[in-house]
Amino acid sequence: MPPMDEPSWESLMRAANRGDQRSYARLLGAVTPVVRGIVRARGGTLGPEACEDVVQEVLLTIHLKRQSWREDAPLRPWLYAVTRHKVVDAFRARGHRVEIPVEDVAEILPAPPGEDPFEARDMARVIGRLEPRAAEIVRAIGIDGESAAEAGARLGMSEGAVRVALHRAFKSLARLRERMIE
Amino acid sequence: MKTDALIAALAADTTPRVAPGARLARSLPVAFVVSVLLLLVFWQVRPDLAEVLTSVPVYKTLVPAAMALAALWLARGMARPEARVGAEASVVGVLGLGLLGALAYGLATNSPAEIAELLDTRDFENCLISVPVLAALPLAGALWAMKAGAPRHPVLAGAVAGLLAGGIGAAVYSLHCPHDPLMYFLSAYGGAMLVVVALGAVIGGRVLRW
Repeated sequence: MPPMDEPSWESLMRAANRGDQRSYARLLGAVTPVVRGIVRARGGTLGPEACEDVVQEVLLTIHLKRQSWREDAPLRPWLYAVTRHKVVDAFRARGHRVEIPVEDVAEILPAPPGEDPFEARDMARVIGRLEPRAAEIVRAIGIDGESAAEAGARLGMSEGAVRVALHRAFKSLARLRERMIE
Repeated sequence: MKTDALIAALAADTTPRVAPGARLARSLPVAFVVSVLLLLVFWQVRPDLAEVLTSVPVYKTLVPAAMALAALWLARGMARPEARVGAEASVVGVLGLGLLGALAYGLATNSPAEIAELLDTRDFENCLISVPVLAALPLAGALWAMKAGAPRHPVLAGAVAGLLAGGIGAAVYSLHCPHDPLMYFLSAYGGAMLVVVALGAVIGGRVLRW
């Protein structure tokens, strides 16, 4: 249970749906250790880097499918369902069968906080396959911490155009990943 | 790429996303109206439509429409990965069982020769083709909406989208079709709707994966 003064995941996601980037980053940050815990509990034998690849794949899926969460529903069951589906899928694509009984997911402990030592490789590889400008935008905002406006100013694009490009980039990433891994 | 960097990039993408239910609400009315218009232009309504709509043969419109509504409810549920859809699925199941019961009744009360005679018309093949054609746009709309969702079982979700579209197609086609016997309805409309269900399942298995 989160402490009382922490906003609920539901309210963070609702804020995110209204365009609040900080709430969304906060939610994804809070969700990640939980996802990581599930991935490691199921696929620990793959090694930490491969697990982190799967964690990132789940995060990308959460991002692209977030509109399938209904705002009046609790977020956790949705999150577990998405994670479970994607983890099974990701391990299958890597030649590992994992079974995750639905009831188990909620009971897996989150990975210890503040632990992200691994450079996951797959995502960087897939980003490399995007068209150069899209890849540059993803890297500028993700790795270099630029805002959409800053990246736009540097690339001679409007902030809106950067956001559209970023959004398309994530959709392409999901498609490319599927093709590359299978 | 580190996960924190990915999160930063993801958080910057605040493009509003349209929920599957909203997409259904957007696409299906348009698809329905276009199907009706297509019917009016290329098939025409049956001349005695006004009479039919207030008498027993209206079941040919109402039953597929009920199936479409039940499938719509189920599709909305299936678009959510965490949803339990037992209630929705049982409504579809009860309607399906009702049709099977009607089929058993029809087979018991009609000789094979009578049924063969009922189906011995060009309109039978016509129906098997027309319903899927009229269902095409609703099917596209339903699949497009489901794609915004996260159905756990893409093939099943596609089949339900097919049932929804097939129900719409059959209900619309019934405004044209002059054949009212039960066995004709079950064979032609049932067959045509199953074609659309199968189409939905095949396409869904490809496009609804995530």
